[in-house]
Amino acid sequence: MEIYLPIAEMSVHWLIVLGMGGAIGFLSGLFGVGGGFLLTPLLIFYGVPAEVAVATTSSHITASSISGALAQWRRRAVDLKMGAVMAGGGLFGTTAGVWLFTVMRRYGQMDLLVSSSYVILLGTVGGLMLSESLAALRASRSGAPPARRAPHLWMHGLPFKMRFRESRLYISVIPPVVIGFFVGVLSAIMGVGGGFVIVPAMIYLLRMPTNVVMGTSLFQIIIVTAATTILQATTNYSVDIVLALFLILGGVIGAQLGVRAGERLRGEQLRLLLALLVLAVALRLFVGLVVKPDDPFSVTVGGP
Amino acid sequence: MRRWLPAVVLLLVAAPAAATEDLVSGLSQDTVEITSNYTGTDIVVFGAIEHPEDTGINDVVVIVRGPGANMTVREKQWVAGIWINRDQAKMISMPTYYFLASTRPVDRIAPAFTLERYAIGLANVVPANIVSHHDPEPFRQALIRHRQADGLYGEEPDGVIFNSPTLFHARVPVPATVTRGLYNVEVYLFRDGTVISAQSTPLFIDQTGLERRLFNFAHDEPFYYGVATVLMASLLGWLSSVLFRRNE
Repeated sequence: MEIYLPIAEMSVHWLIVLGMGGAIGFLSGLFGVGGGFLLTPLLIFYGVPAEVAVATTSSHITASSISGALAQWRRRAVDLKMGAVMAGGGLFGTTAGVWLFTVMRRYGQMDLLVSSSYVILLGTVGGLMLSESLAALRASRSGAPPARRAPHLWMHGLPFKMRFRESRLYISVIPPVVIGFFVGVLSAIMGVGGGFVIVPAMIYLLRMPTNVVMGTSLFQIIIVTAATTILQATTNYSVDIVLALFLILGGVIGAQLGVRAGERLRGEQLRLLLALLVLAVALRLFVGLVVKPDDPFSVTVGGP
Repeated sequence: MRRWLPAVVLLLVAAPAAATEDLVSGLSQDTVEITSNYTGTDIVVFGAIEHPEDTGINDVVVIVRGPGANMTVREKQWVAGIWINRDQAKMISMPTYYFLASTRPVDRIAPAFTLERYAIGLANVVPANIVSHHDPEPFRQALIRHRQADGLYGEEPDGVIFNSPTLFHARVPVPATVTRGLYNVEVYLFRDGTVISAQSTPLFIDQTGLERRLFNFAHDEPFYYGVATVLMASLLGWLSSVLFRRNE
């Protein structure tokens, strides 16, 4: 049965949308990531306008993050104070991001903004993950312990120190606010939660204990993606609630299957697979930017 | 066909007697409602020539025009290794939909200046105004090409079918992606290259039901619409967490 998406203004088969949500949910359950970085490009390849894809994916991430955060909350693995500080930066970031999004849309450079952000960020993160997981696989084979990085000492000298009890940290609020701001911008222009940036930042830059990292990042992602959804709805009218409903329904089912499948695979193998997936998406978008398009012309309807 | 045939008969019976050749026409439906499972439909434009004369060549052209909208056409150019949108042309008030059906290719029905005057044929679909720093013609042609590929612009040179020497009909496709609003159906009767009669009938295309309400909600109350989306997402996220725990 075809369903009509009122904001994207297109007809889609409900099974295809449900299936896309399910596939992304499966991968996010498998790898423990939000999956926004896969869902947005997938929707764009399918023909959903980029602004609708980005904005609607935000609400999908809100749903999957709430599900994950509640599980972490039951284990008392959420640092609410740290999450709130980062979300504070994130709210400024997403406001700036939505503004940038609107400006670029006016000048017809929205697709360029989305594609190039994806290529740069996914290329970098994917490359780092690939080299890290290959090193880990090699190390586990030779039996040597994985290398640890030295803490970034300059951060400890910054002012506005605050105590974060659950994270067992007494640090300046500036680094978490800045990280939150940066991820908020990404959330608005890429339709991602930003977990693949927040989690490494929490571990390597803030030196948070790994047991609270997942829950805290999910907590801050909920706040930022919920704010992004509302901001995109009020600024760009680009959130499609029907599309969101089917993506979320597919996503929550897929995620459960993914979590179960993930239990059968080893951590290093999972990270290697995820790295390859991230690089594949980056490569696909990179090709779209550099290869001569079949038709250099594009048409936008509407506007003053 | 059965649906509109009685209407044709009615038109013929009701038509007043007149000495000159004339045209009557109608639509199979005067409104199209886009519902949740709408995948496109056809409407039928039918009509009859009254008091046909024996000499000369009659041609019929049916045109359906959608409401006007501003459209921006952008051209990607190769800059520093990547393809980005550079030049653009803004077409002010371009029809969102244009479909033409005729008895023959229009350039064989009438001379170019007549076609231009009545905006008959895709070559004569032009915006009210163009804002561009460049020659806008390639941009206009690109727009027509894109709309044709989307099924929103079309020309069928053999789309008007005569069931009898005086009765004709044409099928007009209405795809799911059409813009809502007031459409205009025009029927022209040509005789030896001159318009001798023309009729226009309004056609209303609207979204109905839930889609319409959601679209209005998103544009009239965007803040509450955003909040509603977040609440829906939160509820589903919470539900899945509860169900997932029970499964463990």
